[in-house]
Amino acid sequence: MSSVSTLLEDRGAAFAGYSFAFLDDMAKREIRRAILKGVAIPGHQVPFGSREMPIARGWGTGGLQLTLALVGGSDVIKVIDQGDDASVNAVNLRRLIAKTTGATETLDTAAATLIQTRHRIPEEVMREGQVLILQVPIPEPLRLVERSVAAARSMHAEMDYSRMWLALYEDIVRRGEVSAGAGYPVMVNGRFVMAPSPIPRWDIPKLDNARCLFLFGAGREKRIYVVPPFTKVEPLEFDDYPFDTEHFDGKECALSGATNAYLVESPTEDGGSRWTASDTNYADKVLAGQEVDTQWKR
Amino acid sequence: MEALTESGIRPPDTAAEQPLLRVKGLTKHYQSASGGRIVACEDVTFDVYPGEVLGIVGESGSGKSTVLQCLFQDVMPTSGEAYLSSFLGGTRNLWEADRRERRHLRTHDMSMVYQNPRQGLNLMVTAGGNIAERLLAAEWRKVADIRAKASDYLSRTEVPLDRMDDFPAFFSGGMQQRVQIAKALANNPALVLLDELTTGLDVSVQAGVLDLVRDIQHRLGMTAIVVSHDLGVIRLLADRTLVMKDGHVVEAGLTDQILEDPQHPYTQLLVNCVTH
Ligand SMILES: Nc1ncnc2c1ncn2[C@@H]1O[C@H](COP(=O)(O)OP(=O)(O)OP(=O)(O)O)[C@@H](O)[C@H]1O
Ligand SMILES: [Mg+2]
Repeated sequence: MSSVSTLLEDRGAAFAGYSFAFLDDMAKREIRRAILKGVAIPGHQVPFGSREMPIARGWGTGGLQLTLALVGGSDVIKVIDQGDDASVNAVNLRRLIAKTTGATETLDTAAATLIQTRHRIPEEVMREGQVLILQVPIPEPLRLVERSVAAARSMHAEMDYSRMWLALYEDIVRRGEVSAGAGYPVMVNGRFVMAPSPIPRWDIPKLDNARCLFLFGAGREKRIYVVPPFTKVEPLEFDDYPFDTEHFDGKECALSGATNAYLVESPTEDGGSRWTASDTNYADKVLAGQEVDTQWKR
Repeated sequence: MEALTESGIRPPDTAAEQPLLRVKGLTKHYQSASGGRIVACEDVTFDVYPGEVLGIVGESGSGKSTVLQCLFQDVMPTSGEAYLSSFLGGTRNLWEADRRERRHLRTHDMSMVYQNPRQGLNLMVTAGGNIAERLLAAEWRKVADIRAKASDYLSRTEVPLDRMDDFPAFFSGGMQQRVQIAKALANNPALVLLDELTTGLDVSVQAGVLDLVRDIQHRLGMTAIVVSHDLGVIRLLADRTLVMKDGHVVEAGLTDQILEDPQHPYTQLLVNCVTH
């Protein structure tokens, strides 16, 4: 423990009486082990003993535990909630992480070493060495077709995904398309079907062969899973009903004029509505006239 | 089975051909609530040849369904061996298959039509989806192809195609049974198991379903085991027949011979009941 208190003194951490990064060493070690296992088996859900956090379950405790298990004092951290760095939840999480570690806070996607996020992947391309930690409400993609956790696990073990495909077939028959909007199921490394967390379809292609590390944490459900850099991630699709992202034809961000971004509609005071980029840091950069690389695929 | 010609049924040439299925000493015991032993079936041994329909007849409780349930991996037998030539070249005892192989058996090598369509159909899924399930398990990934194939099977089983995207929960018993048969044909299983397929149906509907199965059998030459307590069904469908009583096979032979000249007293009783 002396090393921890030394660390706390060194960094002038304001949370005396708490462990560095809030979690105790055993918890961090367990989470890191689960991450390593997840890296070794991309897309596979690894159980972990989710700890009580100073925020309620369902508010990102899984993601937060991953962040706290990895963060060091020299890290630069960014937290986004549906693309927004300024939401109350994002600000609180970012402050908690910074205060218990002395890590630097940022809103800048390019400057961050660790980004914790809910429901979005940044528009700006992430590079080698960066880590994106996604908060996950429901880690089991088979939940819809199989209620039993044990049965779903053996379906994964046997790669028995025909009922998942059947659900997609039924969707197409009944609605003319696969209805899954957020959290479209993907196949990771040709082996495991994975819930990508409730990101929009817009973000799904970014998972494929990316250069950064994607970590997924579900606090309530006590699961961690991983998409390592340069891993094949494919949306489940039929040959004649290919996966497609949302389209924002002719629309642009009302604040920044950005076009190549995931846009969200919000009501305006005059009773109308407007579209803005959900990634606020990206919108800020476009507004400031900065060059931003958004080509995840190359 | 579609490799066979439309020209119709092939009589089993047992001398020349290898059996499709070999079952040796199949035994299934259950335990009663008081701890006693229930013999569901005991030392059941038989072969099924490609293109033939084997009948299993016997009174209620004689163990007919147990034989099919064991073959279809719904229950594991107490002892016995079974080899299916389409499955790993007939080298693996079906009851020593691992979970993945067992699933393959159920989705590729065999299919089952249950007495109660609720058991064989997923009622939360459309009629077409039920058929799609087996095709998806065989990695079909084109919706148009899946639907074309499902329509093909549904029209063969005389299910109106405009019901394809409806839920079979709202179908009549006869139509549910037709969908179940269509599902059982999907993916060309080497062996189709039919358990009392007409028992739950109105007499008027029964004849239609039987005709249908016979017609499909003639056209596709499918290999099947038909279980029934009704000799009329066996007479209509089965080339060869096993007679079961109290879990044991008491007589086996060509269906016509068994009906004309029953040897075992129990079979004589059965045949007399029907003819008189
Ligand atoms: N799960 C079970 N537990 C205990 N006993 C069982 C079980 N399943 C079947 N049996 C018993 O095994 C025997 C054979 O049953 P089985 O269902 O195979 O007969 P069957 O010939 O198909 O009869 P039916 O014509 O009524 O369908 C019966 O005595 C039955 O009570
Ligand atoms: Mg029965």
